[in-house]
Amino acid sequence: MSPLIVVSILPAVHGPLSGLVKALGAMLPALHGPVIPALACLAAAALLLLLEAREGAGAMEVASLLVLLPLAGVVATAPHVEAAWPALAVALVVAVLARHREDLLHSECGIKLLWVMGAALALSWGGLELLAISTGTRALAEQWAVLRLDLESSIGWSTALSLSLLVGVVMLGGAPFHFWPADLFQGARPWLAPLAVAGIQVCGAGWLLSRVDGIEQFPTGQRIVYSLLGTAAWVALVAGGVTLMVQRRPERRVGTLASLNGALMLASLAAPHRGAMGAGARDIPLALWAGHLALALAGAATLSRFAAVSAGSPSAGPVLFRRHPWSGILGLYAFFSLAAVPGTPGARLWLGVARDLVSAGRVGLLLALAVAWLAAFGAAIRQLREAFGVVTPAAPPGRPVAWQPRAAMWLTGAVLVWMALSGIAGTSQ
Amino acid sequence: MIDSRVQRVAVGPLTGAPASARTARPGARVAGAVLCTVGLALLCLRSQLAAAVGLEAVAMAFWVWARAAEDAEAQAPRWAWLRRPAAALWLAVAIHAVWPWLSHGRGPVRDGMLAPLRWLEAGAVVWAGLELLAGLPLARPYSDLPGPLLAMRPWLPVMLPAAGFMVLWRQSPHWLGISPVRHTATVLLLVTAVLGALRAFARRQWIASLRWLAISDSALAGVLVATGVVPERSSLLLWLGACGGHALLLMGELRGASPRRGPFITRLWRAASWTTLAALSWPMMIALISGKRGVAWAVSFAIGALPVCLNAWVTVGRMVAAPERRKMVRAGAALKLTRLAPLAVLATGPVALLVAWWGGFEPPWRDSAAALAPAVLGGMAALVARQTQARPVWRALRGMGRGMPAFAGAAFQAVIGIERRLVALVDGLVRAVASPLHDLHTGDAQEYLLFVVGLGVLALVLPLLQ
Repeated sequence: MSPLIVVSILPAVHGPLSGLVKALGAMLPALHGPVIPALACLAAAALLLLLEAREGAGAMEVASLLVLLPLAGVVATAPHVEAAWPALAVALVVAVLARHREDLLHSECGIKLLWVMGAALALSWGGLELLAISTGTRALAEQWAVLRLDLESSIGWSTALSLSLLVGVVMLGGAPFHFWPADLFQGARPWLAPLAVAGIQVCGAGWLLSRVDGIEQFPTGQRIVYSLLGTAAWVALVAGGVTLMVQRRPERRVGTLASLNGALMLASLAAPHRGAMGAGARDIPLALWAGHLALALAGAATLSRFAAVSAGSPSAGPVLFRRHPWSGILGLYAFFSLAAVPGTPGARLWLGVARDLVSAGRVGLLLALAVAWLAAFGAAIRQLREAFGVVTPAAPPGRPVAWQPRAAMWLTGAVLVWMALSGIAGTSQ
Repeated sequence: MIDSRVQRVAVGPLTGAPASARTARPGARVAGAVLCTVGLALLCLRSQLAAAVGLEAVAMAFWVWARAAEDAEAQAPRWAWLRRPAAALWLAVAIHAVWPWLSHGRGPVRDGMLAPLRWLEAGAVVWAGLELLAGLPLARPYSDLPGPLLAMRPWLPVMLPAAGFMVLWRQSPHWLGISPVRHTATVLLLVTAVLGALRAFARRQWIASLRWLAISDSALAGVLVATGVVPERSSLLLWLGACGGHALLLMGELRGASPRRGPFITRLWRAASWTTLAALSWPMMIALISGKRGVAWAVSFAIGALPVCLNAWVTVGRMVAAPERRKMVRAGAALKLTRLAPLAVLATGPVALLVAWWGGFEPPWRDSAAALAPAVLGGMAALVARQTQARPVWRALRGMGRGMPAFAGAAFQAVIGIERRLVALVDGLVRAVASPLHDLHTGDAQEYLLFVVGLGVLALVLPLLQ
């Protein structure tokens, strides 16, 4: 039976299958931590690196895997991101990009990342210094306590506060900073891009979480942060959604979806009862978000290398879907999860944030989330249709797709299915 | 014109064999058929999630057929719009999932800040239903275009208005409570009914007319749902009789014009279609005219009467007996079905009205007489015009009326043209706004640095300005 038939029937029999799915999920151990996804992502990168080494890039290239270890470590330890990690992560990614200086796209990505992240880090560090000057202390809890006394004009500390958050927003890749994930996916090597983007985004989320820790002690600052993060999330969701509608390159679509997932974290932080505003700021499922992001990016980015650029009229599908449709379908599952298509682990994350926003009464942000979700959902379906293309009488191309990327898609797809099943079982319990 | 093109495509130029036989792709045909069947079945369920999955399945079915069609390059983009109604329903599902305690009472909107969500949900459901019913200007003329599956092209688009009605009917608790949405939907449904009737009247070919009659019937039944003048079950039965009757006629027409083989069966079908149309129009007209006086009554009556009258004219007047060329008709299941189906259709209308009466539908006799008048007059006029051709008065009237279908077609095209221009205008405005924004972004590395620095400066200056 054609995979297309099976896949097309699956949504229709979703209801009757749900009991079976729940039973299956109950048998699997819960997968909420980011360690297994990070390891799977690393394994997928290793497979892609192996392909590159086989194609004559040299044995030394395999050593690049060591560079990915810290990035995978950042994802695996997502809830415990330290303040210094963002700079280190950016430096590492830029260094790896710069190593392939003969590759023009690599160099361009490296320069862009260095300039944007470097400037953002400098501005945020400047903000931290200003805050320290205003309060006379570097300890965050003490800073809020001092500011609460309202000893001086708000101009200084409010500027410092907003500047200190800037690098977090930039690193999360929310629009108008949504260009860098898309650039990285288009320009960087397949084994590097997913972990690099996920690592930097996790660092950005960690930075923001660490910066707003305990801010509920300082209500005026809390209001400002709440407003800033809400505005940033709104812009990121709407602009990201609109961008996604007009994008034609699959790699850039993956990049924009990554930025939308960053915007999702921003929106989560802007929901006052659970995010930055609440006592349990660390309760945000950062671990789940980070693990899912890395895994889905690895699968979707691998798929995007084999997907065609959207043309004006429909054409035959790419080799991957004509020769190995099941591998392609697992890659698409990762793409779908990134786009929060119902039935994927990504959809649960988006739904959770949407519920938080409703509880917080942030309707404007919720509507922006809806716009972004619809755009992402539409892009996922468009990707599916372009992937399968139109039926042609011609035989599929003789040369198959190498086994390494297919294995990478199977690996990431399997872990994502595991996440979905265990999540459904967890919800039903 | 389109139908002749279909005929040209449907028969191979050299072999004479049906093109579908040459390009048979059983996988796509089976997958599409399964998806479509499951999708339409899911639309019959009360669950909003099931409806969204069902619409997605229908959209997927059209895509599966389109990608396997001989003219896939034309078919795939043509039916891509089916994703829009599915997306609208997904939005409604998402709103429910996010806010499960959303209530649908007819009372004033509560919960202050979250009220927009109820509006959005109602709007999304109505959008999905209306677009499938050709009730929105975005894909209104779809019924003039052949469907993607060669074997079933002429009647495939008939499924879409049925799906649209099912969405509006089954999901009615999600949108009837929001009055502005309900009123807007009623107006759009009436416009759709009028346009559908005009198009059915304008098309000379019986098959093409039937496709548009199905749309017009579904829109009229949608008005019944929106106004709530009869119970839900009654609305469904009335729609089933009117639209189902026309769909059965279409199916029969494509199988050797079996409903028109012989004068008796033709009369039976004519009576059945006319009766169900009258039964459908009665409560619909009552809902429009009851409680109104003067100009408001006249306007409401005219708007409701026009599509009903035209539909009755087309249904009764265009169905002419086809000569039976065979000496002996072979008895079979299809023949029995052709003879039994009109009886079932004939019974549906009165049964639906009985259910409505049982549910409290007891209009005053004056209103009822006015409500029944368009269907009765339209059908009678068509009968008289056909049966009294010899008289000079009727010949003169026929001569005058010969240009009416062309006029109806021109009116339809004029409305579609205006709608297209409006959509193009909005599209152009969006592009005009988006284009400079796009041009601002060159993609240079320096641009990104400048952007971040600019934002930093803004962060410094804004508090000072405050």
